[in-house]
Amino acid sequence: MISYAEHTLSNGLRVIAHRDPTSRMAAINLLYRVGARNENPNRTGFAHLFEHLMFRGTHDIPDFDTPVQMASGDNNAFTNNDYTDYYITLPKDNIETALWLEADRMMGLEISAEKLEAEKKVVIEEYKQRYLNQPYGDQWLLLRALCYKVHPYRWATIGLTPDHVRDATLDEVEAFYHRFYLPGNAILSVACDLDPDTVFRLAEKWFGEIKGSSLPSATFDPEPEQTAARREIVVRDVPATAITIAFPTGARLSRNFYLSDVISDLLAGGSSARLYQHLVKERQLFSAINAYITGDLDPGLFVVTGQLHPEIPTQRGEEAIWQELQDLASTMPTDYELEKVKNKFEAETIFGEINVMNKAMNLGFYDLTGDLPLINREVEIFRSISAQEVSTAAAEMFRPERSNTLIYEIGKA
Amino acid sequence: MKRLQPPIMVPRQIDLPVATATKLTNGVRLYHVSTPGQEVLRISFVFAAGSAHQTAPFVASTTLNLLSEGTQNLTAQQIAEKIDFYGSYYDVNIDRDYAVVTFCCLEKFFAPTLQLAEEILLHPTFPEEEIAIYCAKRKQRLAVERSRITTQVRELFSQALFGKDHPYGVSYDESAYDRLSREEIVAFYRNYYTANHCFVACSLSDNPQLLSAVQALASKLPAGGSETPFIFPTPHPTKHLFNPFPNAVQSAIRVGRLLFPRTHPDFIGMQVVATALGGYFGSRLIRNLREERGYTYGVFAGMVNLDHAGYLAIATEVASEATQDTVQQIFLEMERLCNEPLPTEELENVKRVMLSEVLRIIDGPFGIVDVTIENVQNRTDNNYTNRFVETVNLITAEKVQDLAIRYLQPSKFTTVVVGDCDIKPITKR
Repeated sequence: MISYAEHTLSNGLRVIAHRDPTSRMAAINLLYRVGARNENPNRTGFAHLFEHLMFRGTHDIPDFDTPVQMASGDNNAFTNNDYTDYYITLPKDNIETALWLEADRMMGLEISAEKLEAEKKVVIEEYKQRYLNQPYGDQWLLLRALCYKVHPYRWATIGLTPDHVRDATLDEVEAFYHRFYLPGNAILSVACDLDPDTVFRLAEKWFGEIKGSSLPSATFDPEPEQTAARREIVVRDVPATAITIAFPTGARLSRNFYLSDVISDLLAGGSSARLYQHLVKERQLFSAINAYITGDLDPGLFVVTGQLHPEIPTQRGEEAIWQELQDLASTMPTDYELEKVKNKFEAETIFGEINVMNKAMNLGFYDLTGDLPLINREVEIFRSISAQEVSTAAAEMFRPERSNTLIYEIGKA
Repeated sequence: MKRLQPPIMVPRQIDLPVATATKLTNGVRLYHVSTPGQEVLRISFVFAAGSAHQTAPFVASTTLNLLSEGTQNLTAQQIAEKIDFYGSYYDVNIDRDYAVVTFCCLEKFFAPTLQLAEEILLHPTFPEEEIAIYCAKRKQRLAVERSRITTQVRELFSQALFGKDHPYGVSYDESAYDRLSREEIVAFYRNYYTANHCFVACSLSDNPQLLSAVQALASKLPAGGSETPFIFPTPHPTKHLFNPFPNAVQSAIRVGRLLFPRTHPDFIGMQVVATALGGYFGSRLIRNLREERGYTYGVFAGMVNLDHAGYLAIATEVASEATQDTVQQIFLEMERLCNEPLPTEELENVKRVMLSEVLRIIDGPFGIVDVTIENVQNRTDNNYTNRFVETVNLITAEKVQDLAIRYLQPSKFTTVVVGDCDIKPITKR
């Protein structure tokens, strides 16, 4: 359980405070409700590029990182399809340095043409390093395009192509900043050994004067229901055939999300799980296999992905995966097996509550979902899931006409 | 409106608890960090059983990974089931010098997790069929790993620093997995998973029964095993190595040189030099290669510590067309550190970055165990970390420049590239 108190400033900034008496560090997380899904389809990758620019200095503070470091702190950020997250850890006594910096870049970002050009090059190198210069590196670029035809989840946060990053203009940077980087579009969450009222007072001191109204929350055309199987085969210079099968699943707040999570744990949560035991160890078809859910706010994906041993025909690998999925749909898991994944979920939740940064980040995320108390209800939700429900959900989800199959075949690209 | 920067408090020292050490009857040293009220605990068994000690390719990592794949009383599958059922965390880790076996669990599952630990550490049986499955799986995964430029450059760099047959430099073809025998694995286990090759580090709540149970288990580690001292062969560095990776859109680059391990009096000073060069966001190399030139998403410099050697390493992946200039810039930045003392503010920045790393690691029981393990491996205790902070605080710009002049001579450096094309030799101006 994480204890917390919440407060909303008059300019709309959400503030969540958690007291941890055991830590001497403070974790400050600032989440903006803007991610790749808010991008113009012709300028994908922009939210992430913008995140990089947030470190490029403001009118008053030309360099963001140095003051954090001088306060013995560390900071970073990430962007995903749903939101952008900035985080700082530093000694508790220096918490105001973090608030000063975050408040400053919420209102005074100053990006020159030169800085934009240099940062575009960095992001294009990141694109190459993570997505192009890796075996299977473009898996998620291909998979998103295969699974989504309408919803902006069809592109990855890095963007559809490096060209979109290259073409970004300074005017677009300005417009994006003024549209999304507002107190009413942000959540400040803090975990440290301070009482929540002190945190709220400090938030008011540093952020209270920033002007800005809340944004109406963006809605997106829902992805139409998939009615026919999709399949893409790519030939690449890779050392092993890789099979990925993805299925549409529920939104983050739906019961279906939790059912999918349990199913992914039954299939791949630890080395006792079904896919590893059956397909890697017993049948020795795959050298590695995994199943997971994306956990996006809007309806996301359930993904099974594995690399075949040499000499194993692709079709045999695919059939083996389908058999595992259908087994779950046709036969209820035993009470023991279900208990195991529930125990594991509970333990992982407790492990995740050791670190202040983890806690601050989670509080921000749950507030983003619109149901902050959910952070302490999830173990209970997991516990309430029955074997029958799991099988029904598996039967509903693992239908051939809702499958999206991506195959990497070995060959010269 | 302009807002005033809040005052900064600089913690000038840390007070890392000294882990309580006990010597057990079989000679195993046990280091214990007490974490009252914490419902999660961790126990790590550290064996001097890293790959440098191995007698056959891949035997060290295979032995370690197969500890949990079948024991006297439990099959591999039963072990996996139990670990997952308790929601416990079992992890193994290996480097050139050490193999580490770690258990983390909720206190309520301590007793059954410790029973499993006993099976895994004391009674592994290394079944033939598990060895076969493991080797086939790892062979394939290694092939996948080696299709990345970062894996290739890491292996090539070790080879360039130490020599291709040196225990710290060698890497083996995947096919060596086909020749690994059960006898070699069993022999490696008997020789290295013994009391005289082991120490234990743990974080436990203040329930005294937990500590005595860990002590009881560690006391059961058998005596004996290999008594052959590890002879460290003289390294034979190579100036330059290149692996072609046709059509790669980035090159992986490593620049570095052998120096000394952490026991050397200049090690901490060289950590300061390395941090200034490329150890943080804002370092010379980040500003040059990322922020000004946009060649790379990241570049890092650091001192690497092994049991019998230490080296300075600079690592980056850059746009293929920027390969040549990147190497040139790395040497130019090293030259600048030799020619000009660090400005006061920059040195202060470097010091606080180094301090902040320590503060973050030791904020929590698991991090304290990590630091304790590292200190024990280096034959010191947690006072080392306190002294580290003091030493860093006291270092002067003159000292940093002296060290740079002494240790950053370009002629002593090794350069390794994996990518679409090689670099031309860097001409000394």
